[in-house]
Amino acid sequence: MSVRASMFFHVLKRGLLGRGNRPLIAFIALSVAATMITAMLSLYYGLEKKLNRDFRSYGANVTVAAPDGQQLPSDAVTHARSILGPDAIIAPFAFAIAHTSNDQAVVVVGTDMDQVRRLNAWWSVSKWPGGDDQALAGARAESHLQLTQASFDLNFAGRALHLQQAGTVKTGSDEEDRVYVPLTTFERWTGIGPSLLEVSASGSHDQITTAVFQLQSAFPVMQVRPVRQLLQTQGGVVSRMRSVMLASTLLIALTVALCVFSTLTSSVLERRRDFAVMKAIGSSQVTVNALFAGEALTIALCAGVLGYVVGSAIAAWISQANFHAVVMPQLSVLPLVILADVVLALLAATIPLARLQRIEPAGILKGE
Amino acid sequence: MFLRLLYQSFRRQQRRKLLAGIAVTLGVAVATAMIAVGVDVGDKINRELRRYGANIVVYPEDATLQVRVGDQEVKAASAGTYLKESALPNIKGVFWGRNILAFAPFLEAQVQGPSGSVRVLGTYFDKQLRFGTEDFSTGVEKLYPWWRVQGAWPKDSSTDVLVGSQLASRVGKRVGDSIDFSGVSARITGILSSGSTEENAVVAPLALVQRVAQVPDAVDKIYVSALTKPEDAFARRDPDRMTVADRDRWYCSPYANSIALQLREIFPGARAEQIRQAAQNEGTVLSHISGMMLLIAVAALIAAALAVSAAMATTILERRQEVGLMKSLGATASTIASLFVCEATLLALGAGVVGFLLGDVIAQRIGQAVFHSGVSITPVLLPMVIFLALLVTIGGSAAAIRRALKLDPVLVLRGDA
Repeated sequence: MSVRASMFFHVLKRGLLGRGNRPLIAFIALSVAATMITAMLSLYYGLEKKLNRDFRSYGANVTVAAPDGQQLPSDAVTHARSILGPDAIIAPFAFAIAHTSNDQAVVVVGTDMDQVRRLNAWWSVSKWPGGDDQALAGARAESHLQLTQASFDLNFAGRALHLQQAGTVKTGSDEEDRVYVPLTTFERWTGIGPSLLEVSASGSHDQITTAVFQLQSAFPVMQVRPVRQLLQTQGGVVSRMRSVMLASTLLIALTVALCVFSTLTSSVLERRRDFAVMKAIGSSQVTVNALFAGEALTIALCAGVLGYVVGSAIAAWISQANFHAVVMPQLSVLPLVILADVVLALLAATIPLARLQRIEPAGILKGE
Repeated sequence: MFLRLLYQSFRRQQRRKLLAGIAVTLGVAVATAMIAVGVDVGDKINRELRRYGANIVVYPEDATLQVRVGDQEVKAASAGTYLKESALPNIKGVFWGRNILAFAPFLEAQVQGPSGSVRVLGTYFDKQLRFGTEDFSTGVEKLYPWWRVQGAWPKDSSTDVLVGSQLASRVGKRVGDSIDFSGVSARITGILSSGSTEENAVVAPLALVQRVAQVPDAVDKIYVSALTKPEDAFARRDPDRMTVADRDRWYCSPYANSIALQLREIFPGARAEQIRQAAQNEGTVLSHISGMMLLIAVAALIAAALAVSAAMATTILERRQEVGLMKSLGATASTIASLFVCEATLLALGAGVVGFLLGDVIAQRIGQAVFHSGVSITPVLLPMVIFLALLVTIGGSAAAIRRALKLDPVLVLRGDA
């Protein structure tokens, strides 16, 4: 290493470490900027995922229906599962009209209780059925058919089924008019297989649309449809929130940048004497600029990394508090944050330097 | 003397004051905009979520069970009971009438069509109604914005109909054809795709279905979309078992349950229920988004406070020489401090008002760009924001003033400090 270069690094090192807490102020300011920007960007990237998850609680976002009077193939659930992965909720439904002992008609639905319970967490259910012969009665079905006893009988095509009533379901829509029984019991009793799959695919509006296409090509004869009501609402809310978050992120980043800029500018201006001494003892303009820029760059890099760590922690804490789920640190944010910090620091260092260059070193040293 | 110092300080140091002023203005503007957007975003997203459709349903207390599987339907032996169509405009008159964004009545009939039995749904498309002196229009076009019609929506006063896309392809009907049922020949103005069971039905004006089914003034069900407050523990309590004061508070809160109760009061013998799928889940989304925006508004406040105090500290530290001169001329620390505090106060007041106005503009811009509607800003925000600006400006200056006062005037004036 040449003498010049080693001198340069020596001065750079002393400039960073030998000036007490002066560089610390710049470091803190840049760290705060990096923290804020990281936190906002992480939340921005994480928000969409969180909102998409929230919208899954509405229930099915895709339905696969057999044409009227037909049934789904017997391996429909496993086939759909192999396409959509373990994250999807897939509930099969089979329907039949049965009669009670006093000959009132009611729709009986056979389904996979565990999947339905996960799919429709908004159902208000007094107690979910546990055993094979336990049924879940809709609130209106229960009061109309007087299913108040612990057990009741249903008839389908001359075959009787004895059921224990586990609980009642309240939803405010058609489900309340029906009686739900476990699918295996239902198939053994009626011989009718599922004619409808309600699917909750995970992901964004676009990912769900892709799932619809995949399912359609897997079940060419069936009607595979997105639940448009849900998807449109989801798409609308998510895209609007994304814009709001972007605007907030920009505004906050701008404010923080302003704060850092005024702090750094003044800390460079405070060092005009160093600047004047260097020039007086013969260093070139380029060297002085490189020195100040090198200092700013080093501080910005360290502050960027620290800010990234702290900002990710804050974002994780916020989403834990608000969504009860952690936003994982986003690695893609790191280069952005460091770049923003470096640009900020270099700008804040070069603008006052340009001003200082126009002044004679002698003037500064005399204290004018 | 003090006032002259203050006056001259602003007159002579215009550049420096301008910089500090810009910092305070921007800080206040960002804080105002974020608080305004944060407060309003809940309401905006609530409206967005209402695009999901109805969240309350009203039907006769003794309505028969719906027994239908695919095309198979078992008709109840007893005659159906109905709600009165003539009472519909009163929906706007309930306590939370302003929160009711749209509603649509439905009357269903099974009729003999060209190829077997056809389900016909009567409803309002975009019906003009009048409650008191208020004119409004409502119907499925507003209630179900996701319904897609290829062709045109029928008029409520006509005998034109929509045909569901599945039914249309089954019976081979297109826009402009006519479909005959129960002695009526209805013109098809559009093909409806809704992603739901309506695709297998004919959707017709309510009056037409009432005539076909021979049930004047009758309605099976009313779907209502209302802006509601997310349900909490208080909302779930039974109003019949509350104290009078609690019941009044419950009744006057826009919970889905209390609006349902108010709707029940205008339709004797009716039940009104929240549609849990809509009502429960939008509460989750809404509370998450509001919570998020609140935290972001706090972050914006912190960022603004940092920016303002950093700028104030910088401007004061740049004026060390002035402090040294004043001290050596015999000014006490308290005089100097009060001079700086007065300057900061004037700055905060002036820049605070400008910042508030600027923040208002930013918030409106965001509102227009994202939600296509302005953001409402309460005037209460102005004193709040000015107070915060004062706090932050003076607070940000305080540490710098203390540091400037501690310095030895001799050293400062020699330029060594």
